Amino acid sequence: MKFAGLLLTCALAFAGHIAWAGANDTVFIRNADVYPVTAAPMKGVSVLIQDGKIAEIGAKLTPPKGVRIVDAKGLRVYPGFIDSATNLGLAEISAVRETVDTGELGEFMPQLFALHSVNPESEHFGVVRVNGVTSAITLPGQGGGGGGRGGGRGQFISGKAALIHTNGWTWEDMSISADAAIQLNFPSLGGRGGRGGEIPPEVAQMLGMETGGGANARRTYEEGIAKINQFFDDARHYKAAKDAHTPGLKTDLKLEAMIPVLERKVPVAVSAATVDTMKDAIKFADKQGIRIVIMGPRELGDVGPELKKRDIPVVLGRVLALPEHEDDSYDSAMALANQFYKAGVKFSFGTFNNEFVRNLPFEAAAAAGFGLPQEEALKAITINPAQIWSKANELGSVEKGKVADLIVTNGDPLEIQTKIERLYIKGQEVPLTNKQTRLFEKYSARQ
Amino acid sequence: MRTKIVAALAAALLALPLCAETIVIRNATIMTVTHGTVKGSIVVKDGKIADIGEKVMEPAGASIIDAGGQYVIPGIIDCHSHIAVDGGVNEGSVSVSSMVDIKDVINPEDISIYRALAGGVTSANILHGSANSIGGQTLVLKMRWGKSAEQMIFEGATPGIKFALGENPKRAGNPAGGRGATGTTVQARYPATRMGVEDTIREAFTEAKAYKAEWDAYNAAVARGEHPIPPRKDLKLEPLKEVLEGKRYVHCHSYRADEILMLIRVADEFGFKVRTFQHVLEGYKVAKEIAAHGAGGSTFSDWWDYKVEAADAIPYNAYLMMKNGVISSLNSDDAELMRHLNTEAAKTMKYGGATETEALAMVTLNPARQLGIDKRVGSIDVGKDADLVIYDKYPLSDYAKVQKVLIDGAVYFDRDKEVSAQAAKMAEKEKLVEKLKQQQQAQGGRGGRGGRGQ
Amino acid sequence: MIAIRNARIVTVSGPVLAKGTVVVRNGLIEAVGENVAVPADATVVEGDGLTVYPGLIDALSTVGIPGAAPAATAGRGGRGGAATPATPAVNPLAAAAPAARSMGPEDRPQTTSWVIAADEIQPTDRRIETVRAGGITTAVTFPTRGIFGGQGSIIDLGAEEKAGAMVVESPVGQYIALGRGGFGGGMGGGFPGALMGVIAYVRQVYLDADHYKLVKEAYAKNPRGMERPQYDRALEGVIDSKRILLPANRLVEIDRMIHFAAELRQPTILYGMHEAYRPEAAELLKKAGLPVLVSLHWPTPPAGPDVHLDEESMRQLETYDQAPAAAAALQKAGVKFAFYSDGVDAPRDLQRAVKRALDAGLTREQALRALTLTPAEIYGVADRLGSIEKGKIGNLVVTKGDIFENSTRVEVVIVDGKKYTPASDSSGGRGMTAEAPGGEQ
Repeated sequence: MKFAGLLLTCALAFAGHIAWAGANDTVFIRNADVYPVTAAPMKGVSVLIQDGKIAEIGAKLTPPKGVRIVDAKGLRVYPGFIDSATNLGLAEISAVRETVDTGELGEFMPQLFALHSVNPESEHFGVVRVNGVTSAITLPGQGGGGGGRGGGRGQFISGKAALIHTNGWTWEDMSISADAAIQLNFPSLGGRGGRGGEIPPEVAQMLGMETGGGANARRTYEEGIAKINQFFDDARHYKAAKDAHTPGLKTDLKLEAMIPVLERKVPVAVSAATVDTMKDAIKFADKQGIRIVIMGPRELGDVGPELKKRDIPVVLGRVLALPEHEDDSYDSAMALANQFYKAGVKFSFGTFNNEFVRNLPFEAAAAAGFGLPQEEALKAITINPAQIWSKANELGSVEKGKVADLIVTNGDPLEIQTKIERLYIKGQEVPLTNKQTRLFEKYSARQ
Repeated sequence: MRTKIVAALAAALLALPLCAETIVIRNATIMTVTHGTVKGSIVVKDGKIADIGEKVMEPAGASIIDAGGQYVIPGIIDCHSHIAVDGGVNEGSVSVSSMVDIKDVINPEDISIYRALAGGVTSANILHGSANSIGGQTLVLKMRWGKSAEQMIFEGATPGIKFALGENPKRAGNPAGGRGATGTTVQARYPATRMGVEDTIREAFTEAKAYKAEWDAYNAAVARGEHPIPPRKDLKLEPLKEVLEGKRYVHCHSYRADEILMLIRVADEFGFKVRTFQHVLEGYKVAKEIAAHGAGGSTFSDWWDYKVEAADAIPYNAYLMMKNGVISSLNSDDAELMRHLNTEAAKTMKYGGATETEALAMVTLNPARQLGIDKRVGSIDVGKDADLVIYDKYPLSDYAKVQKVLIDGAVYFDRDKEVSAQAAKMAEKEKLVEKLKQQQQAQGGRGGRGGRGQ
Repeated sequence: MIAIRNARIVTVSGPVLAKGTVVVRNGLIEAVGENVAVPADATVVEGDGLTVYPGLIDALSTVGIPGAAPAATAGRGGRGGAATPATPAVNPLAAAAPAARSMGPEDRPQTTSWVIAADEIQPTDRRIETVRAGGITTAVTFPTRGIFGGQGSIIDLGAEEKAGAMVVESPVGQYIALGRGGFGGGMGGGFPGALMGVIAYVRQVYLDADHYKLVKEAYAKNPRGMERPQYDRALEGVIDSKRILLPANRLVEIDRMIHFAAELRQPTILYGMHEAYRPEAAELLKKAGLPVLVSLHWPTPPAGPDVHLDEESMRQLETYDQAPAAAAALQKAGVKFAFYSDGVDAPRDLQRAVKRALDAGLTREQALRALTLTPAEIYGVADRLGSIEKGKIGNLVVTKGDIFENSTRVEVVIVDGKKYTPASDSSGGRGMTAEAPGGEQ
């Protein structure tokens, strides 16, 4: 206990010299066990971070002159973790509407930039960094509830999801992808009331969805899909008119925002919990010729081959979740990831809730406990999301040339007892202090 | 025929529990909590732990559970749960709802009980919700899946009562916009501020004191041989009288340091003890005072910032309270979270640096002490109830999962049996669905007049 | 005076008479037997090819109180016992309900325990005719609104001018309903808002009733110098009740109510019984020695193109499948049970509902008894109703064919000695006309 305090004090002392004092994105990590994720672990090697990138990894490296050296003997280096579904920076206290900026009004709002509303000072960032999360997708859909469900209800397209680092001076500084995906809330044929139908409540909330059910469920569902198709067709017409330089064409921000989607440059993050909804979503994607990522599936059923054939990846929701129905196997949510893995579908994990982002690695571990190979669990929060969000050239593994988003740990970071000793974002060491560690310090000192 | 299959399946699943058998759990790593880790075996007899050791005398005819490479911990005790309750967990209509009793509405067929079992929970403190400054009466259950409501009650456990401070009781009676949960307009219910919450409690105990005086006077008169008419028995004041007499535990949902201190002072003034502060997310700020009063603290491992009063919650809470001499436990308050309290406990090793034993105690011995049941459960000691959980891997790791759970020496959960029975269960269900669909068609779709039975 | 001659007579209390005669005079059964003489001035009904049964008794009904919803059954099966309480319809009793929001048990929320069905009967209630056409001659009618609905009365379903003429016995018990989430919606609504609140309230009422009696007795003995007990009509309504009715559908509820009944120390009848097909339920009831009323409104799975039955729980599906077997299960376990319509008023629907119980293992004799002598026994009027015996009230059903058969027509219904004929309508269930007044007795 005293030791922890001592370590904390040292870390704090160190912190005084780092990050806040000005950018220093060059450092030499010496003699660590590196876990690249995309290759076999390398014992006793060094990593040179230079100008924010991983410059060299090797056994017999010499540090350049004047570079700060971090002795990492007995420690490990992993890529930082990536959470594929959060509201980080957009929501502070879920019960207080004024602190929640997800879920704008309007049915189709693809022009909204989640990135530009990210509050870099949100307390959540410091909290999630402690467990190794270096970047995350932050979603514009409704999350957190707020006092009464404000905007976002009945909304189809919520805006542009952003991929951000969990540290930075401004959102610009934190931005990895301003337009990582367009978030689409696919209509759902809700199950029989009760627990919000098929979508788990926190996913539904975060994605701003109307939980289905009710007498006209089928009709509402089909009308919804028709509306979405109509909107995409409108976007296509707009693009065609623009390409043809049609004179007098008025700029339509919403339809402008759809152009990268139609060009397959930006995927659509589609919420779909059940097999039936996933199938309809796939049909829709085929019809519109767009790329999609399925968000929050709760079952696999027989849709695996369809997903695999089209290389459609999924973001799985919380592993530690209750089964959908009373008679489902008690571990159906924990065993789901392994099912997707066996079906050859690429998947990553998302926590769909700010408050659980810090537990991302432990959710991955839980999936490993219920069958998923351990390496796959690690991939699902590193290289897989990097690939899914088209940033595999920059993130997701410890490889030369990639951005230096790294964690230095004293063991397997998916184990709870493992301590993240150091964390680097874009090569800069970020102190692992936050509001909670400060309160701990303060009250530890109370006599 | 179908009924026979279902009965057989049910029997197979409920063959757990094997009643009062002698069992030897062999070759395990036994984390006792009270006297370290023992690599060896446990002998279970007549529902109790009969022997623990590297080498034990295995009684003839004992069933053997080979736990080679596996770990055993005491059954997990969740100090804050709302599962297994029928018809609503809150009597939020009135400021003081102490007249209601969770015991009246226990639903032993709630699947949450089974799921908790599958997560290693063997006992749980079932509480009224947090809509009232003074809420309803509470009790402790063992997760004896398959038994009746009465058979699930933890015999001899002191009954409790739920208090709630802070935002929830304020909000329950006064929702934003004056609209209630069902969208109907709501008449304001006192209290609307923390000041009012304190006042509500003071009022109630002032009344309770007078009520107690009435009954004491009556009992004294009867003892003298007189025959007065007894006072009216008031179900609202009875449990409060019991609190004053130390016969009923107070479990108080609380967040902010100021309200925690407030209740300690009110309790001191009226002469009763708070048994546990629940959630107590700012407990670390007033750990000294909580310890001095003698209350326990039962909190979340790391949940925070979901409402304003949780803004200063820190995952070091349990650790700091423990360091200050407060008996601390970790609870779930959630049917899902209760399935992995083992890893919630592990988080105290990360946040603060608790030892393995201190961490494990957070969900075993500590809640047992808080609930006054530590003579019977909470550790693996000879003489205690054989409430045991077998994990396939190190229990304080997310990679581990529960293999078996014993309560009172009977196996109530067996993962292998559960997994192998699932397919047959689903096939059974499909057949029944087909049958019902056919019946519907035969009746020309006449069905559907009521009976939606949700 | 009416005589039914040469018919097959199912007396229920004795062996079936293959060919016999029943004579009804002054509203009572004067004679029944194989060799009964037909009085000269009797209106004769030729009974060749016809069967005579005792008039059916609906053991829990709201017929006679117009506008009242069917008796609320707590939770239409399934996990969580989820069901909406009976929608309080426009009801003359509504005026009695307090408008202010209840702040606790002292306000006696949702309570009209003092209301007696006999005082509320309106002979013009159209349902009287409807159910009579199906052979129901007697209804045990209760006011059913709220928690303490009020006191029931046994009424014969004849076309009378005065309600009083219909009443056979009153009061016969207190109707209690528990809702699922209470009445008033909990947060924001009045007390009680949760099931445990309702139970606590009922418990308090009976504690208060005991105390009330004590105080009243003491005051009556010697009022001088003693503060008088405050009159409480809610308590007056429950004191000295012959019996109470408590709802129980799921096994969990049956267990719960058995315990509750023992605690309240009131003679109790449980009504509902959706999960009574489960052997544990029948066993518990047998041990407790409580009579039960089985609802004929069997829980039915919803239909429709988007209905996913497999999303319902196994327990719920089993209930859909097995609920009608409750009767046979109770019979086998030796539990005393009667049927009640629970809103199944149309004769065809009622007959279909009973048929399902027969298909699930109940014999015709047992089914008939559950609609005749058993309910009479449960309510303590077996000396007057429930079988065809000399001296009993002249309530009879005459059918062409077995009463529980699909094809059967109800030819004639006799209530208190008055003859009624169903309107000529092949469905056999739309309504009945009374014979021209005067002279049937």
